[in-house]
Amino acid sequence: MASRDRTARVAVLGTSVQRSRNERRPPRGRNPQVRRAILLGLVLLALVLLTISFRSPTSGALHSVQGYGATALKPFQVAADRVARPFRDGYDYLSGLTSAKSENAKLRRENRQLRAQAVAAVDAERQLAELKTLVRFEELKTFPNQYRAVNTTVISFPGTPFAQQVTIAAGTNSGLRLNTPVVTADGLIGRVTNVEPNTAQVTLLTDPESSVPAIDVTHGVSGLIRRGPRGTFILDRVPKEAVVKKGDVIVTRGTIDRRLPDYYPRGIPIGDVLSASPSDIATFLTVQVTPYAHFDSLDVVAALIPTK
Amino acid sequence: MSVLDGLKAAALLFVAAIFQVSIFSQARVLGGEPDLLLVTLVAVALLRGSLFGCVGGFFGGLIVDTATLAKLGLTSLVLTLAGYWIGRYGETTGRDRAHAPFLSVAVITVLYAACVLILHFVLGEPAPAGPLFRGLVPSIVLNLILTAPVYALVRRLLRPLDRGDYATEVQLLG
Repeated sequence: MASRDRTARVAVLGTSVQRSRNERRPPRGRNPQVRRAILLGLVLLALVLLTISFRSPTSGALHSVQGYGATALKPFQVAADRVARPFRDGYDYLSGLTSAKSENAKLRRENRQLRAQAVAAVDAERQLAELKTLVRFEELKTFPNQYRAVNTTVISFPGTPFAQQVTIAAGTNSGLRLNTPVVTADGLIGRVTNVEPNTAQVTLLTDPESSVPAIDVTHGVSGLIRRGPRGTFILDRVPKEAVVKKGDVIVTRGTIDRRLPDYYPRGIPIGDVLSASPSDIATFLTVQVTPYAHFDSLDVVAALIPTK
Repeated sequence: MSVLDGLKAAALLFVAAIFQVSIFSQARVLGGEPDLLLVTLVAVALLRGSLFGCVGGFFGGLIVDTATLAKLGLTSLVLTLAGYWIGRYGETTGRDRAHAPFLSVAVITVLYAACVLILHFVLGEPAPAGPLFRGLVPSIVLNLILTAPVYALVRRLLRPLDRGDYATEVQLLG
Protein backbone atom coordinates (compact mmCIF):
# COMPACT_ATOMS: atom_id res chain seq x y z
CA MET A 1 0.00 0.00 0.00
CA ALA A 2 1.30 3.45 -0.91
CA SER A 3 1.44 6.12 1.70
CA ARG A 4 -1.21 8.88 1.33
CA ASP A 5 1.54 11.49 1.46
CA ARG A 6 3.34 10.22 -1.63
CA THR A 7 3.28 12.27 -4.84
CA ALA A 8 2.46 10.58 -8.13
CA ARG A 9 6.02 10.97 -9.37
CA VAL A 10 7.26 9.28 -6.27
CA ALA A 11 4.59 6.63 -6.56
CA VAL A 12 5.72 5.78 -10.06
CA LEU A 13 9.35 5.69 -9.09
CA GLY A 14 8.48 3.45 -6.24
CA THR A 15 10.43 5.29 -3.58
CA SER A 16 9.26 6.28 -0.18
CA VAL A 17 10.16 9.99 -0.19
CA GLN A 18 7.59 11.98 1.79
CA ARG A 19 5.64 14.93 0.38
CA SER A 20 6.96 18.23 1.72
CA ARG A 21 4.83 19.62 4.54
CA ASN A 22 4.19 23.00 2.90
CA GLU A 23 2.81 21.47 -0.33
CA ARG A 24 -0.86 22.34 -0.88
CA ARG A 25 -3.41 19.73 -0.13
CA PRO A 26 -6.21 19.20 -2.64
CA PRO A 27 -9.15 21.41 -1.70
CA ARG A 28 -12.22 20.02 -0.05
CA GLY A 29 -14.60 18.30 -2.44
CA ARG A 30 -11.89 17.30 -4.89
CA ASN A 31 -11.90 13.79 -3.62
CA PRO A 32 -12.32 11.38 -6.58
CA GLN A 33 -15.13 9.50 -4.83
CA VAL A 34 -17.06 12.73 -4.20
CA ARG A 35 -16.51 13.84 -7.77
CA ARG A 36 -17.72 10.55 -9.20
CA ALA A 37 -20.69 10.51 -6.84
CA ILE A 38 -21.71 13.97 -8.06
CA LEU A 39 -21.32 12.89 -11.69
CA LEU A 40 -23.40 9.76 -11.05
CA GLY A 41 -26.05 11.80 -9.22
CA LEU A 42 -26.32 14.32 -12.07
CA VAL A 43 -26.51 11.58 -14.71
CA LEU A 44 -29.24 9.81 -12.73
CA LEU A 45 -31.11 13.09 -12.26
CA ALA A 46 -30.89 13.80 -15.99
CA LEU A 47 -32.19 10.30 -16.76
CA VAL A 48 -35.08 10.73 -14.31
CA LEU A 49 -36.00 14.10 -15.88
CA LEU A 50 -35.75 12.57 -19.34
CA THR A 51 -37.95 9.63 -18.39
CA ILE A 52 -40.63 11.81 -16.82
CA SER A 53 -40.70 14.31 -19.67
CA PHE A 54 -40.72 11.49 -22.23
CA ARG A 55 -43.68 9.79 -20.55
CA SER A 56 -45.78 12.96 -20.19
CA PRO A 57 -44.47 15.57 -22.64
CA THR A 58 -47.43 17.95 -22.45
CA SER A 59 -48.80 17.56 -18.92
CA GLY A 60 -47.79 16.86 -15.33
CA ALA A 61 -45.88 18.62 -12.58
CA LEU A 62 -42.54 18.61 -14.41
CA HIS A 63 -44.19 20.12 -17.46
CA SER A 64 -45.61 22.91 -15.29
CA VAL A 65 -42.19 23.56 -13.76
CA GLN A 66 -40.70 23.66 -17.24
CA GLY A 67 -43.42 26.13 -18.21
CA TYR A 68 -42.58 28.43 -15.32
CA GLY A 69 -38.90 28.12 -16.22
CA ALA A 70 -39.59 28.96 -19.85
CA THR A 71 -41.65 31.98 -18.76
CA ALA A 72 -38.80 33.14 -16.53
CA LEU A 73 -36.27 32.72 -19.35
CA LYS A 74 -38.41 34.48 -21.95
CA PRO A 75 -37.26 38.05 -21.07
CA PHE A 76 -33.62 36.95 -21.38
CA GLN A 77 -34.30 35.34 -24.75
CA VAL A 78 -36.11 38.46 -25.99
CA ALA A 79 -33.22 40.62 -24.74
CA ALA A 80 -30.66 38.41 -26.48
CA ASP A 81 -32.71 38.55 -29.65
CA ARG A 82 -32.79 42.36 -29.50
CA VAL A 83 -29.06 42.55 -28.89
CA ALA A 84 -28.40 40.34 -31.90
CA ARG A 85 -31.02 41.86 -34.19
CA PRO A 86 -28.77 44.59 -35.75
CA PHE A 87 -26.11 41.97 -36.53
CA ARG A 88 -28.70 39.56 -37.91
CA ASP A 89 -30.28 42.29 -40.03
CA GLY A 90 -26.84 43.18 -41.38
CA TYR A 91 -26.15 39.55 -42.23
CA ASP A 92 -29.56 39.18 -43.88
CA TYR A 93 -28.95 42.35 -45.89
CA LEU A 94 -25.59 41.10 -47.15
CA SER A 95 -26.87 37.61 -47.94
CA GLY A 96 -29.89 39.22 -49.61
CA LEU A 97 -27.55 41.22 -51.86
CA THR A 98 -25.70 38.04 -52.80
CA SER A 99 -28.84 36.11 -53.60
CA ALA A 100 -30.37 39.12 -55.36
CA LYS A 101 -27.72 38.93 -58.08
CA SER A 102 -28.43 35.30 -58.92
CA GLU A 103 -32.15 35.87 -58.52
CA ASN A 104 -31.94 38.83 -60.87
CA ALA A 105 -30.25 36.76 -63.56
CA LYS A 106 -32.81 34.01 -63.13
CA LEU A 107 -35.71 36.44 -63.41
CA ARG A 108 -34.23 37.96 -66.58
CA ARG A 109 -34.11 34.53 -68.18
CA GLU A 110 -37.66 33.83 -67.13
CA ASN A 111 -38.77 37.18 -68.45
CA ARG A 112 -37.30 36.48 -71.88
CA GLN A 113 -39.05 33.13 -72.00
CA LEU A 114 -42.33 34.66 -70.98
CA ARG A 115 -42.07 37.39 -73.59
CA ALA A 116 -41.31 34.82 -76.24
CA GLN A 117 -44.37 32.82 -75.29
CA ALA A 118 -46.51 35.97 -74.92
CA VAL A 119 -47.95 34.83 -71.61
CA ALA A 120 -48.15 38.23 -70.03
CA ALA A 121 -50.96 37.15 -67.78
CA VAL A 122 -48.77 34.73 -65.87
CA ASP A 123 -46.30 37.50 -65.12
CA ALA A 124 -49.06 39.80 -63.95
CA GLU A 125 -50.38 37.08 -61.69
CA ARG A 126 -46.99 36.61 -60.12
CA GLN A 127 -46.61 40.32 -59.52
CA LEU A 128 -50.04 40.39 -57.94
CA ALA A 129 -49.11 37.54 -55.64
CA GLU A 130 -45.93 39.37 -54.61
CA LEU A 131 -47.87 42.54 -53.88
CA LYS A 132 -50.37 40.59 -51.80
CA THR A 133 -47.65 39.38 -49.49
CA LEU A 134 -46.71 42.97 -48.76
CA VAL A 135 -50.03 43.71 -47.08
CA ARG A 136 -51.02 42.12 -43.81
CA PHE A 137 -51.74 38.53 -44.46
CA GLU A 138 -54.94 38.62 -42.41
CA GLU A 139 -56.39 40.67 -45.25
CA LEU A 140 -55.56 38.09 -47.89
CA LYS A 141 -58.32 35.95 -49.35
CA THR A 142 -56.36 32.91 -48.29
CA PHE A 143 -56.74 33.84 -44.62
CA PRO A 144 -59.25 31.35 -43.21
CA ASN A 145 -62.69 32.48 -42.07
CA GLN A 146 -63.69 32.17 -38.42
CA TYR A 147 -60.08 32.51 -37.29
CA ARG A 148 -58.14 35.40 -35.84
CA ALA A 149 -54.37 35.80 -35.97
CA VAL A 150 -52.18 36.15 -32.89
CA ASN A 151 -49.03 37.76 -34.22
CA THR A 152 -45.86 36.85 -32.36
CA THR A 153 -42.16 36.22 -32.85
CA VAL A 154 -39.89 33.19 -32.78
CA ILE A 155 -37.73 33.39 -29.67
CA SER A 156 -35.70 30.22 -29.88
CA PHE A 157 -34.66 27.75 -32.48
CA PRO A 158 -33.97 24.02 -32.40
CA GLY A 159 -31.45 22.97 -29.74
CA THR A 160 -30.21 20.04 -31.83
CA PRO A 161 -29.83 19.47 -35.55
CA PHE A 162 -32.55 16.82 -35.39
CA ALA A 163 -35.24 18.92 -33.75
CA GLN A 164 -37.59 20.72 -36.12
CA GLN A 165 -39.31 22.82 -33.49
CA VAL A 166 -39.19 26.52 -32.67
CA THR A 167 -40.44 28.36 -29.62
CA ILE A 168 -42.75 31.35 -30.07
CA ALA A 169 -43.50 34.17 -27.63
CA ALA A 170 -47.21 33.46 -27.21
CA GLY A 171 -49.01 30.80 -25.20
CA THR A 172 -52.29 29.93 -23.54
CA ASN A 173 -52.63 33.50 -22.26
CA SER A 174 -52.96 34.62 -25.90
CA GLY A 175 -55.46 31.88 -26.72
CA LEU A 176 -53.09 29.27 -28.13
CA ARG A 177 -53.90 25.61 -27.59
CA LEU A 178 -52.29 22.33 -28.56
CA ASN A 179 -52.41 21.83 -32.36
CA THR A 180 -53.09 25.51 -33.10
CA PRO A 181 -51.89 26.13 -36.70
CA VAL A 182 -49.04 28.60 -37.14
CA VAL A 183 -48.39 30.52 -40.36
CA THR A 184 -46.23 33.25 -41.83
CA ALA A 185 -47.25 35.75 -44.50
CA ASP A 186 -46.02 33.19 -47.03
CA GLY A 187 -47.87 30.13 -45.82
CA LEU A 188 -48.26 27.35 -43.29
CA ILE A 189 -45.24 26.49 -41.14
CA GLY A 190 -46.57 24.01 -38.56
CA ARG A 191 -48.68 23.55 -35.44
CA VAL A 192 -48.34 24.00 -31.69
CA THR A 193 -47.19 20.79 -30.00
CA ASN A 194 -46.42 22.09 -26.53
CA VAL A 195 -47.93 25.14 -24.91
CA GLU A 196 -47.18 27.16 -21.79
CA PRO A 197 -48.83 30.37 -20.49
CA ASN A 198 -46.48 32.69 -22.40
CA THR A 199 -44.59 30.48 -24.83
CA ALA A 200 -45.36 27.60 -27.14
CA GLN A 201 -43.40 25.04 -29.08
CA VAL A 202 -44.22 24.79 -32.77
CA THR A 203 -43.36 21.63 -34.67
CA LEU A 204 -42.52 22.66 -38.22
CA LEU A 205 -43.72 20.98 -41.39
CA THR A 206 -40.08 20.08 -41.97
CA ASP A 207 -40.28 17.61 -39.09
CA PRO A 208 -40.12 14.04 -40.47
CA GLU A 209 -43.22 13.10 -38.48
CA SER A 210 -45.34 16.03 -39.67
CA SER A 211 -48.08 15.38 -42.20
CA VAL A 212 -50.77 17.75 -43.41
CA PRO A 213 -53.84 16.86 -45.48
CA ALA A 214 -53.53 19.07 -48.54
CA ILE A 215 -55.24 19.69 -51.85
CA ASP A 216 -54.13 20.86 -55.27
CA VAL A 217 -56.54 23.75 -55.84
CA THR A 218 -56.04 23.70 -59.61
CA HIS A 219 -56.97 20.06 -60.17
CA GLY A 220 -58.67 19.16 -56.89
CA VAL A 221 -56.31 16.31 -56.08
CA SER A 222 -55.85 15.49 -52.38
CA GLY A 223 -52.84 14.08 -50.61
CA LEU A 224 -50.64 14.32 -47.53
CA ILE A 225 -47.83 16.87 -47.32
CA ARG A 226 -44.66 15.39 -45.83
CA ARG A 227 -41.03 16.44 -45.67
CA GLY A 228 -39.17 15.81 -48.90
CA PRO A 229 -35.54 15.99 -50.03
CA ARG A 230 -33.45 19.19 -50.06
CA GLY A 231 -35.94 21.56 -48.43
CA THR A 232 -38.95 20.46 -50.47
CA PHE A 233 -42.18 18.69 -49.52
CA ILE A 234 -43.78 15.60 -51.00
CA LEU A 235 -47.51 15.46 -51.70
CA ASP A 236 -47.97 11.82 -50.75
CA ARG A 237 -50.85 9.41 -51.42
CA VAL A 238 -51.75 10.90 -54.79
CA PRO A 239 -53.14 8.19 -57.12
CA LYS A 240 -51.12 7.56 -60.28
CA GLU A 241 -54.06 8.41 -62.53
CA ALA A 242 -54.51 11.88 -60.94
CA VAL A 243 -53.56 14.99 -62.92
CA VAL A 244 -51.06 17.26 -61.18
CA LYS A 245 -49.06 19.85 -63.09
CA LYS A 246 -45.96 21.86 -62.31
CA GLY A 247 -46.92 25.19 -60.73
CA ASP A 248 -50.19 23.95 -59.22
CA VAL A 249 -50.88 25.59 -55.88
CA ILE A 250 -51.11 23.31 -52.85
CA VAL A 251 -53.18 24.43 -49.83
CA THR A 252 -54.47 22.78 -46.68
CA ARG A 253 -57.51 20.59 -47.27
CA GLY A 254 -59.29 21.36 -43.99
CA THR A 255 -61.98 19.31 -42.32
CA ILE A 256 -63.95 17.02 -44.63
CA ASP A 257 -65.88 15.10 -41.98
CA ARG A 258 -66.93 16.95 -38.80
CA ARG A 259 -66.43 13.76 -36.79
CA LEU A 260 -62.76 13.83 -37.76
CA PRO A 261 -61.79 17.51 -37.59
CA ASP A 262 -58.46 18.53 -39.08
CA TYR A 263 -55.97 20.71 -37.16
CA TYR A 264 -55.67 23.08 -40.10
CA PRO A 265 -58.44 25.19 -41.67
CA ARG A 266 -58.95 24.90 -45.40
CA GLY A 267 -57.05 27.09 -47.82
CA ILE A 268 -53.77 27.95 -46.07
CA PRO A 269 -51.09 28.07 -48.80
CA ILE A 270 -48.33 25.49 -48.45
CA GLY A 271 -46.41 25.63 -51.72
CA ASP A 272 -46.52 24.97 -55.43
CA VAL A 273 -45.78 21.83 -57.39
CA LEU A 274 -42.18 21.56 -58.51
CA SER A 275 -42.57 18.25 -60.35
CA ALA A 276 -45.04 15.40 -60.66
CA SER A 277 -43.92 12.11 -62.07
CA PRO A 278 -45.17 8.53 -61.92
CA SER A 279 -42.76 5.77 -61.01
CA ASP A 280 -42.85 2.13 -62.06
CA ILE A 281 -42.20 0.88 -58.56
CA ALA A 282 -44.10 3.45 -56.48
CA THR A 283 -47.80 2.96 -55.71
CA PHE A 284 -48.50 6.67 -55.84
CA LEU A 285 -47.55 9.65 -57.97
CA THR A 286 -44.36 11.39 -56.82
CA VAL A 287 -45.32 15.05 -56.38
CA GLN A 288 -42.57 17.38 -55.19
CA VAL A 289 -43.70 20.70 -53.71
CA THR A 290 -41.67 23.86 -53.14
CA PRO A 291 -42.80 25.43 -49.85
CA TYR A 292 -43.82 29.08 -49.78
CA ALA A 293 -42.62 29.63 -46.22
CA HIS A 294 -38.91 30.24 -45.63
CA PHE A 295 -38.12 27.85 -42.81
CA ASP A 296 -34.52 29.06 -42.51
CA SER A 297 -35.46 32.62 -41.58
CA LEU A 298 -38.55 32.44 -39.40
CA ASP A 299 -39.12 35.61 -37.44
CA VAL A 300 -42.68 36.98 -37.27
CA VAL A 301 -45.38 34.32 -37.29
CA ALA A 302 -49.11 34.17 -36.59
CA ALA A 303 -51.05 31.55 -34.67
CA LEU A 304 -54.56 30.97 -35.98
CA ILE A 305 -57.11 30.98 -33.16
CA PRO A 306 -60.71 29.93 -33.88
CA THR A 307 -63.14 32.80 -33.19
CA LYS A 308 -65.99 30.40 -32.32
CA MET B 1 -11.76 27.75 -6.25
CA SER B 2 -14.56 29.49 -4.47
CA VAL B 3 -18.24 30.23 -4.44
CA LEU B 4 -17.42 33.31 -6.52
CA ASP B 5 -15.90 31.06 -9.19
CA GLY B 6 -19.08 28.99 -9.19
CA LEU B 7 -21.23 32.08 -9.62
CA LYS B 8 -19.02 33.35 -12.43
CA ALA B 9 -19.16 30.00 -14.21
CA ALA B 10 -22.95 29.81 -13.75
CA ALA B 11 -23.39 33.32 -15.17
CA LEU B 12 -21.17 32.51 -18.13
CA LEU B 13 -23.02 29.30 -18.91
CA PHE B 14 -26.43 30.96 -18.45
CA VAL B 15 -25.58 33.73 -20.92
CA ALA B 16 -24.06 31.20 -23.33
CA ALA B 17 -27.18 29.00 -23.17
CA ILE B 18 -29.53 31.94 -23.76
CA PHE B 19 -27.46 33.19 -26.69
CA GLN B 20 -27.26 29.65 -28.05
CA VAL B 21 -31.02 29.08 -28.17
CA SER B 22 -31.87 32.63 -29.28
CA ILE B 23 -29.19 33.39 -31.84
CA PHE B 24 -26.48 30.83 -32.53
CA SER B 25 -28.74 27.87 -33.25
CA GLN B 26 -30.21 29.89 -36.14
CA ALA B 27 -26.82 30.76 -37.65
CA ARG B 28 -26.44 27.93 -40.14
CA VAL B 29 -23.38 27.98 -42.37
CA LEU B 30 -22.99 25.17 -44.92
CA GLY B 31 -25.27 22.96 -42.85
CA GLY B 32 -23.32 23.45 -39.62
CA GLU B 33 -24.08 25.66 -36.68
CA PRO B 34 -21.87 27.08 -33.92
CA ASP B 35 -22.46 25.89 -30.36
CA LEU B 36 -21.52 28.70 -27.98
CA LEU B 37 -22.68 26.75 -24.94
CA LEU B 38 -20.48 23.77 -25.76
CA VAL B 39 -17.42 25.98 -26.34
CA THR B 40 -18.05 27.88 -23.08
CA LEU B 41 -18.51 24.62 -21.19
CA VAL B 42 -15.22 23.28 -22.58
CA ALA B 43 -13.43 26.47 -21.45
CA VAL B 44 -14.95 26.32 -17.95
CA ALA B 45 -14.20 22.61 -17.59
CA LEU B 46 -10.59 23.02 -18.75
CA LEU B 47 -9.97 25.89 -16.33
CA ARG B 48 -11.87 24.55 -13.32
CA GLY B 49 -11.88 20.78 -13.67
CA SER B 50 -14.34 17.94 -13.90
CA LEU B 51 -16.59 18.96 -10.99
CA PHE B 52 -17.31 22.35 -12.53
CA GLY B 53 -17.54 20.64 -15.91
CA CYS B 54 -20.26 18.17 -15.00
CA VAL B 55 -22.29 20.55 -12.82
CA GLY B 56 -21.95 23.31 -15.43
CA GLY B 57 -22.94 20.92 -18.20
CA PHE B 58 -26.04 19.83 -16.32
CA PHE B 59 -27.00 23.43 -15.57
CA GLY B 60 -26.42 24.63 -19.16
CA GLY B 61 -28.35 21.70 -20.59
CA LEU B 62 -31.26 22.37 -18.26
CA ILE B 63 -31.43 25.99 -19.43
CA VAL B 64 -31.45 24.90 -23.09
CA ASP B 65 -34.11 22.22 -22.56
CA THR B 66 -36.28 24.61 -20.56
CA ALA B 67 -35.98 27.51 -23.00
CA THR B 68 -36.73 25.36 -26.06
CA LEU B 69 -39.47 23.35 -24.27
CA ALA B 70 -37.59 20.24 -25.35
CA LYS B 71 -37.45 17.00 -23.38
CA LEU B 72 -35.95 17.91 -20.01
CA GLY B 73 -32.72 16.09 -19.24
CA LEU B 74 -31.65 15.21 -22.77
CA THR B 75 -29.16 18.03 -23.30
CA SER B 76 -28.26 17.97 -19.60
CA LEU B 77 -27.27 14.31 -19.79
CA VAL B 78 -24.96 14.77 -22.76
CA LEU B 79 -23.41 18.02 -21.51
CA THR B 80 -22.86 16.59 -18.01
CA LEU B 81 -20.78 13.77 -19.47
CA ALA B 82 -19.03 16.14 -21.88
CA GLY B 83 -18.15 18.58 -19.10
CA TYR B 84 -16.83 15.85 -16.84
CA TRP B 85 -14.74 14.29 -19.57
CA ILE B 86 -13.19 17.59 -20.66
CA GLY B 87 -12.66 18.52 -17.01
CA ARG B 88 -10.69 15.32 -16.45
CA TYR B 89 -8.66 16.04 -19.56
CA GLY B 90 -7.93 19.54 -18.23
CA GLU B 91 -6.90 18.15 -14.85
CA THR B 92 -4.54 15.60 -16.35
CA THR B 93 -2.98 15.47 -19.81
CA GLY B 94 -4.51 18.71 -21.13
CA ARG B 95 -3.13 20.85 -18.32
CA ASP B 96 -1.02 23.80 -19.50
CA ARG B 97 -1.29 22.71 -23.13
CA ALA B 98 -1.96 25.63 -25.48
CA HIS B 99 -3.76 23.38 -27.95
CA ALA B 100 -6.03 21.82 -25.30
CA PRO B 101 -9.07 24.12 -25.85
CA PHE B 102 -9.00 23.64 -29.62
CA LEU B 103 -8.46 19.89 -29.45
CA SER B 104 -11.18 19.55 -26.80
CA VAL B 105 -13.69 21.61 -28.78
CA ALA B 106 -13.07 19.65 -31.99
CA VAL B 107 -13.37 16.27 -30.28
CA ILE B 108 -16.31 17.17 -28.08
CA THR B 109 -18.23 18.64 -31.04
CA VAL B 110 -18.07 15.24 -32.75
CA LEU B 111 -18.85 13.28 -29.59
CA TYR B 112 -21.69 15.61 -28.59
CA ALA B 113 -23.33 15.26 -32.01
CA ALA B 114 -22.92 11.48 -31.92
CA CYS B 115 -24.36 11.22 -28.38
CA VAL B 116 -27.37 13.38 -29.27
CA LEU B 117 -27.94 11.23 -32.38
CA ILE B 118 -27.78 8.03 -30.33
CA LEU B 119 -30.08 9.40 -27.62
CA HIS B 120 -32.69 10.49 -30.16
CA PHE B 121 -32.43 7.08 -31.81
CA VAL B 122 -32.82 5.28 -28.48
CA LEU B 123 -35.86 7.42 -27.61
CA GLY B 124 -37.47 6.45 -30.91
CA GLU B 125 -37.36 9.97 -32.32
CA PRO B 126 -36.29 10.93 -35.85
CA ALA B 127 -32.48 10.86 -35.94
CA PRO B 128 -31.23 11.20 -39.51
CA ALA B 129 -27.46 10.77 -39.55
CA GLY B 130 -27.05 12.35 -43.03
CA PRO B 131 -27.60 16.01 -42.05
CA LEU B 132 -25.46 15.45 -38.96
CA PHE B 133 -22.43 14.24 -40.88
CA ARG B 134 -22.87 16.81 -43.65
CA GLY B 135 -22.88 19.64 -41.09
CA LEU B 136 -20.22 18.21 -38.81
CA VAL B 137 -17.12 19.69 -40.43
CA PRO B 138 -18.64 23.21 -40.72
CA SER B 139 -19.79 22.92 -37.08
CA ILE B 140 -16.28 22.00 -35.96
CA VAL B 141 -14.80 24.92 -37.90
CA LEU B 142 -17.35 27.37 -36.49
CA ASN B 143 -16.77 26.12 -32.94
CA LEU B 144 -13.01 26.38 -33.41
CA ILE B 145 -13.45 29.99 -34.56
CA LEU B 146 -15.41 30.68 -31.37
CA THR B 147 -12.87 28.89 -29.17
CA ALA B 148 -10.13 31.54 -29.05
CA PRO B 149 -12.30 34.52 -27.98
CA VAL B 150 -14.51 32.47 -25.67
CA TYR B 151 -11.56 30.76 -23.96
CA ALA B 152 -9.79 34.12 -23.56
CA LEU B 153 -12.92 35.63 -21.96
CA VAL B 154 -13.49 32.66 -19.65
CA ARG B 155 -9.80 32.59 -18.71
CA ARG B 156 -10.01 36.27 -17.84
CA LEU B 157 -12.94 35.64 -15.51
CA LEU B 158 -11.73 32.32 -14.13
CA ARG B 159 -8.00 32.61 -13.62
CA PRO B 160 -6.08 29.33 -14.08
CA LEU B 161 -5.55 27.48 -10.79
CA ASP B 162 -2.33 26.47 -9.15
CA ARG B 163 -1.31 22.89 -9.72
CA GLY B 164 -2.27 21.94 -6.19
CA ASP B 165 -5.88 22.92 -6.77
CA TYR B 166 -6.35 20.27 -9.41
CA ALA B 167 -7.30 16.72 -8.60
CA THR B 168 -4.21 14.74 -7.80
CA GLU B 169 -5.50 11.39 -8.93
CA VAL B 170 -3.24 11.50 -11.96
CA GLN B 171 0.03 13.43 -12.00
CA LEU B 172 2.12 14.11 -15.08
CA LEU B 173 5.72 13.16 -14.92
CA GLY B 174 8.49 15.43 -16.12
